[in-house]
Amino acid sequence: MKDFDAAGIAVYALSYDDANALRDFRDAHGITYTLLSDPDSDVIRSFGILNTLIDPDDHPWYGIPYPGAYVVNPQGEITHKFFDNNLAVRAGPEQLLRAEQGQTRLESAAGEAAPEAVQVSVAVDGNSLAPMVQRDLVVRFSVPAGRHVYAKPAPEGAVAVDLILDKNDRLVQRPLARPASVPHTLAGTGESFHVHHDVFELRMPLTVNGAAGGGAAEITFSGEVRWQSCDDEVCDIPTRQRFELTLPVAESPTVALRSKKGAALEPNAMAHFQRMSKRRVSSD
Amino acid sequence: MQPELETRATQTDRGWQDHDGFIGPVQPGTGPRSDPRGGFPTGPAIGQRMPDVRCSTEDATPFDLHEHRAGRPLVFIFFRSAVW
Repeated sequence: MKDFDAAGIAVYALSYDDANALRDFRDAHGITYTLLSDPDSDVIRSFGILNTLIDPDDHPWYGIPYPGAYVVNPQGEITHKFFDNNLAVRAGPEQLLRAEQGQTRLESAAGEAAPEAVQVSVAVDGNSLAPMVQRDLVVRFSVPAGRHVYAKPAPEGAVAVDLILDKNDRLVQRPLARPASVPHTLAGTGESFHVHHDVFELRMPLTVNGAAGGGAAEITFSGEVRWQSCDDEVCDIPTRQRFELTLPVAESPTVALRSKKGAALEPNAMAHFQRMSKRRVSSD
Repeated sequence: MQPELETRATQTDRGWQDHDGFIGPVQPGTGPRSDPRGGFPTGPAIGQRMPDVRCSTEDATPFDLHEHRAGRPLVFIFFRSAVW
């Protein structure tokens, strides 16, 4: 939260819980951002994101949203949205912060010596993974002046920049986010295609599940980055750079109703749960 | 838009496992695990003004989003529940 405070970003989180349940949650977890109570799901409906796959008689589940996050600029416009088909998956703090700040992660390119050849670094933004919470695997390219790498789709016979992870049962990946590419036309032939120049990033959202090896305190995964670099006359042969990363895995967030630890942290949770079920039945 | 319900699931000795490998006590496709398959509504589009939000805070005080943010950029999260 201190990073959001330092950046002057207001943070709000809304659910269909009663205010007193949110107060207990806030106190148990030391939450400093604003929690909002929408017990009749009025705000959720007004956004059009009520989960309509749940039957109105299915208490207490009915009334939840398709969960997600909106990133809003100082003018009040939505600049990014984070929603996932798996309702357990949520945007990680680094993803939200980078979205608000224009995805300028890692050190600035300014002041770096221009590389002689394409340089590629691979790292997870946040340096750890946690179950259900997404963080981005970031591939940062630095392309020498006067050269380009092919964007996707590459011309026939050429290789576009790409990130391919080896199969890993514990890793949950989502589609690769690519930066906007620029059109490039060869002076000689007039052939036109899309490329990337200078410094840019590919981002792949990752999280970990509880499958094979679930509970282990770290995860090792591997993959490769592909690209092909050219100037206006000559192309290098395509490059494949292998990588392997080992990262700590944080514990799952404590859920009040699922463990003794959670119950100790939020002793009123079961009472809230029972009240939510009854409240909704009686209001029908 | 009424999305399709995601029901792919396997029962394991540790609970129900969904197609992403997440394991929990509730069967995917029911209750809190009513996940959409394919497209589903995600509210106002990128580029639109963030709609008004008027409700109450956890302290039961009235809340107006655009008044409260006072010109600041913001992150607004909709989550399922703080109780379960």
